[in-house]
Amino acid sequence: MFRLEGSKTLAVDLTGDAVKAKNGSMVAYEGQMAFKKMTGGGEGLRGMVTRRLTGESMAVMQVTGQGTCYFADRASEINLVSLHGDKLYVEASNLLCTDAGLRTGTTFTGLRGGATGNGLFTTTVEGTGQAAIMSDGTAVVLRVSAQYPLFVDPGAYIAHQGSLQQHFQSGVNFRTLIGEGSGESFQIRFEGEGLVYVQPSERNTIGGNV
Amino acid sequence: MPFREINSKMVEATVVPGQRMFSQRGAMLAYRGEVAFTPNIQGGQGGMMSMIGRRLANEATPLMTVEGNGTVMFGHGGHHIHVINLAGDTLYVEADRLLAFDGSLQQGTMFMGSQGGVMGMVRGQVTGQGLFTTTLTGHGAVAVMAHGGVIELPIAPGRDVHVDPQAYVAHHGQVRNKLSTALGWREMVGRGSGEGFQLELSGSGAVYVQASEEKL
Repeated sequence: MFRLEGSKTLAVDLTGDAVKAKNGSMVAYEGQMAFKKMTGGGEGLRGMVTRRLTGESMAVMQVTGQGTCYFADRASEINLVSLHGDKLYVEASNLLCTDAGLRTGTTFTGLRGGATGNGLFTTTVEGTGQAAIMSDGTAVVLRVSAQYPLFVDPGAYIAHQGSLQQHFQSGVNFRTLIGEGSGESFQIRFEGEGLVYVQPSERNTIGGNV
Repeated sequence: MPFREINSKMVEATVVPGQRMFSQRGAMLAYRGEVAFTPNIQGGQGGMMSMIGRRLANEATPLMTVEGNGTVMFGHGGHHIHVINLAGDTLYVEADRLLAFDGSLQQGTMFMGSQGGVMGMVRGQVTGQGLFTTTLTGHGAVAVMAHGGVIELPIAPGRDVHVDPQAYVAHHGQVRNKLSTALGWREMVGRGSGEGFQLELSGSGAVYVQASEEKL
């Protein structure tokens, strides 16, 4: 059971079950807890190799026990996401905690990754349960529907869920080439039905510098 | 004189004649009325011996005395501020986390070794708190700083709380703390979960935990 304690601390009530969390993100707990690092993100040998190769490696620990465990990471804002059999795409560095019942994996994102500074691969979380994702500042959740595509700055994108197609588009013109760009030369266009999580802060990206 | 929280990163204190308060030097943001700020070379109360004690213990944060008649706003470094009201009990906090506190509170320095002997000293070193910590006793309010928000976890007999040493901010009440280790072969081969050391707090009181593993 995930709940928020303030906006920056996640409290998870455990009754003998397990959650997966970012390594070292526990700040306090009551009751009995055991922490165990899951080598390669807990996806077996194949998952470990994939993560090493794709640069999406994340250090994950499994927390089991009875009581309440509190998680936080560098004062990031935390957002709860409920999954009902659908798939969440999130950057490994933005994923704080997931139910142990959720499957995690890696997927190819296409051209987008290069400009977002995230690499060409992203992490997926699927199944039924809850996940907690982190953002720099309070994230907004934007709904995308068939008639209303959404354009997002690659540096501000953190996650999305639902059946969305993403396209990478650039507005590079002669101004960009002479160094007078607006800093908004690249965007991700989302089409379809789903939700996109956007943070009010931009990571350093190649796209943001031109 | 209680602190009034303006927002999560600023507090306002009312100063009346005859009562003084202490604050970290340079933490004043604005004031109204006739208020004087005097740098306090001794770094707090208790005269010369206490000052030497604090210097030796490396718990000497530059403090200033705030006196006069008016209201003063405090804030520092964009850190979140949490106000703790003490009613006769003792607050244990690191000196560099102290933003401001009532002059009515008794300030002291505690040797970590006096609570838990050798393990207390080891704990101080592991947690980065050093061998000494600052205590505040009495009736009054304290404003402490933390990176990210602060949550307060109550400690009761039979309800021990374990805290990541880096996220620990302060505690008050009749609390015993000891360092518990969960080191196994995984830590030895560099595959640890990052939670090898924990502060185990038991007794009755409360502990304040910040939403971050960063020191100030």
